[in-house]
Amino acid sequence: MEIAGKNVEIKSARDLGVIACTRCTQVWPVGTEACGRCGKALMMRDEKSLQRVWALWLVGLMCYVPANMYPMLQTRTLLSVQEDTIVGGAVELMHHGAVGIALIILVASVVIPLAKFMAIAFLAVSVTRPSSVSNHHRQLLYEVVEYIGRWSMIDIFVVAIMSSLVQLNTLAAVNPGRASLFFALSVIFTMLSAQAFDSRMIWDVQAKHKGTVEYE
Amino acid sequence: MSDAPPPVTIEPARKSFLGRVSFVWVIPFLALAIALGVAWQTYAERGPLIEIEFSNGAGITKRETELRFRDIAVGVVEDVKFAADLTGVVASIRVDKEVAAFIDVSATFWVVRPKLTTRGVSGLDTVLSGVYIEGSWDSKAGPSKTSFKGLDDTPLFRPGQEGLEIALRSTAGGNLTDNSPITFRGIEVGRVGKARISQQGDFAIAEAIIYDPHSRLISPTTRFWDTSGFTFSVGPQGAEIDFSSFATLVGGGLTFDTFVSGRGRVADGTVFEVFPDEASARNSLFIAPEVETLEMRVVFDENISGLAVDAPVELSGLKIGKVQSVTGVIDADAFGDNRVRLNAVLSIQPARLGLQEDVTPEAALAFLSKRIEEGLRARLASASLLTGGLKIELIQVDDAPAAVVLTGEGIIPIIPTTESVISDAAATVEGVVTRINNLPVEELLNSAIQFLDSAEAFVSDEDLRETPQDVRALLDEVRGIVNSEDTQGIPVKLNAALGRFENLLAQLEEEKLAARLVAAVDAAASAANGVTTSVEGVPALVTQIQAVAAKVETLPLTELTTQLTELTAAAEKILDTEDARELPADLGDALKEINATLAELREGGAVSNINATLDSARKAADAVATSTQDLPALVERIRAVLSQASATIDGYNKGDVLSRDARAALRDISKAADAMASLARMLERNPSALIRGR
Repeated sequence: MEIAGKNVEIKSARDLGVIACTRCTQVWPVGTEACGRCGKALMMRDEKSLQRVWALWLVGLMCYVPANMYPMLQTRTLLSVQEDTIVGGAVELMHHGAVGIALIILVASVVIPLAKFMAIAFLAVSVTRPSSVSNHHRQLLYEVVEYIGRWSMIDIFVVAIMSSLVQLNTLAAVNPGRASLFFALSVIFTMLSAQAFDSRMIWDVQAKHKGTVEYE
Repeated sequence: MSDAPPPVTIEPARKSFLGRVSFVWVIPFLALAIALGVAWQTYAERGPLIEIEFSNGAGITKRETELRFRDIAVGVVEDVKFAADLTGVVASIRVDKEVAAFIDVSATFWVVRPKLTTRGVSGLDTVLSGVYIEGSWDSKAGPSKTSFKGLDDTPLFRPGQEGLEIALRSTAGGNLTDNSPITFRGIEVGRVGKARISQQGDFAIAEAIIYDPHSRLISPTTRFWDTSGFTFSVGPQGAEIDFSSFATLVGGGLTFDTFVSGRGRVADGTVFEVFPDEASARNSLFIAPEVETLEMRVVFDENISGLAVDAPVELSGLKIGKVQSVTGVIDADAFGDNRVRLNAVLSIQPARLGLQEDVTPEAALAFLSKRIEEGLRARLASASLLTGGLKIELIQVDDAPAAVVLTGEGIIPIIPTTESVISDAAATVEGVVTRINNLPVEELLNSAIQFLDSAEAFVSDEDLRETPQDVRALLDEVRGIVNSEDTQGIPVKLNAALGRFENLLAQLEEEKLAARLVAAVDAAASAANGVTTSVEGVPALVTQIQAVAAKVETLPLTELTTQLTELTAAAEKILDTEDARELPADLGDALKEINATLAELREGGAVSNINATLDSARKAADAVATSTQDLPALVERIRAVLSQASATIDGYNKGDVLSRDARAALRDISKAADAMASLARMLERNPSALIRGR
């Protein structure tokens, strides 16, 4: 090993020529095909992680488009049928003066999902090229994304609860619109995408980068 | 586990493509595929966009207003904008693909809005849900069309209301209430649509529908009439107000009935006439409905004023059509000169010809062509006394030159003409007036007045009044005479007298006959017995004679005659003898004897008998005389009565002239009445006679 003898702050497992099983954490020498204890295939780094991230991210984005185009909620009263998209409904609430609720909807249904997309994309890109953002910040970003992702489903919960509660036959009825399905799919796929990201790569890049710098 | 790691097997540097690429990529590709598929499907299922222009766009909203067919949404309005020239509103509607093919030229669209009419409320649901556009098209796909003109009102014929589609026409000058129900026995079975005025403006025509299954009630003999409004009548049962239903009272309505057993169904599009009331509808049964007219043409050499448009065209006195137009015509090629001729175009009503089966202009033309070949000709004739108007008569001319009717596309067939009979209206009027003048009206009146005067005088005559009393007195007297005992005795007395007369006469006859017989017998006896026969035999003879006489009375006359003849013959035989020749002397004696005997007989009672008889006869006569003493008085009375009667009759006699006159007058009157009656009859049959003077 050529890096031995250099002032290296952290020694990774790879540096030590071992590989840990991701399932049972048993350490094996590099080159072992599968975990001798639990049988899982051993990988130094998930090489396909980024591919999965991008693929699921793409599906989530694709689902997000119809989720905003189609009506989220169909409100049928005796006199009329009203169908509102997410943004349209928020705008209407704003027109009616309910700015707070409108903002909550906008944040929960538009800002956060969009931020998630951007965050995942940023993380996926940052592991392949140098970034000015520190590793710690990126790790934090990743954890926030992972944590907050599930809360995006609050929209879907609202729609589900409304639909089941407001069913007064002909007088009034609230039914989920087509967008709710796409929105749910979009949230699910972004969550999967975030999970697919192998956060170890954040640090790999730094190490590689630093090494390169040092070599130069 | 050893200290040294086992030797690392070096994997080949390059993995396969599948090894390097995560299978997760399937998901986005799948999602993409699904999205594309959905997009393509949506696009493929998207129907065409049609544009409908309405005069106003009340209630039509973008992406909300639906297009419905049989009350099912088949499209939605995507856009509403003004027409290019701002004359209307154009609604762009995305229609479902499955019905798009059927939206062809047959499609009609209208906006359903809430409507409150006398028939009820319609389109109430649109109050809450907003208007929608209703479409109607047939079930056959046709060439697609994307631009339509919307109707302002709900059309009459639309899907879901299948039925018999007919047209209703008002009578000339009649009324037609549009958008009104057609009821039958009080049940709404159909509907009249929007009416329009015919081009000539002489009647209104409206589409109507009789819903199935009521359409079977309609036959070619069905008559429609108006039931709108109400009738108010005051009769024996009191005042009556009658109207069909409240709806028809307010909104008008029609009903119909088939008065005669109709046969056959009616095809869509048949035209029916709407009569003002049931009575006229009933009367119309025998007038065939007017159909398309046949146009024919007549060219008259003479150009006489008076033939006007609408002048009647008559066949055998029956109006079969009218003059449609009158123009002058100059056609040197056809007529050989440049004179102006009168060209009349006739519109002949085939229904009036009484054609049995095929009441069409073609059949009428065929019929008339045949008749024209047989000599039917047109001529001008006077139609109106007062206006001097003319009409066209079609008459049969037996020796008419042959003529053939030219028929064909674009040719108005020409009816050949014959000499016109146009009587001078003024002269005819004069003639009529003269004839009226010639009527012995004044004489008639004078006679009547005279007759009435005489009658009055006669009735008021005092003699006439007395006559009944006189007659009654006379009768009383006569009754008195008849009732008197004398009069009643007359017959008895007369009877007695007559009986006596009869006896007397019988006696006389007996004696006479006896005498003659005595003589004859005497002679015979003397002849037989000679002169020596004594007269002492006479009594025996008399008895014999009496026997004979009695026999005579009993015997039939013929026997007596034969006996007498035999006797006479015997006597003659005897007389022829010599003895007989000596008889005269003896006979004279015998006669003397007989005379004596007669005298003796006379003395012996016959005369007294006669006297007595005469006596009684005289008495009877006296009785008669006494009984008839009253007669002169009676006769006097009768004479008085007669004189009075004659006086009365004189009165009549005075009136004799009158009665003759009156009788003559009455004859005149009756003749005049007869003449009047025949004139009236003639006029009934042929009203034009008065005008033409024939």
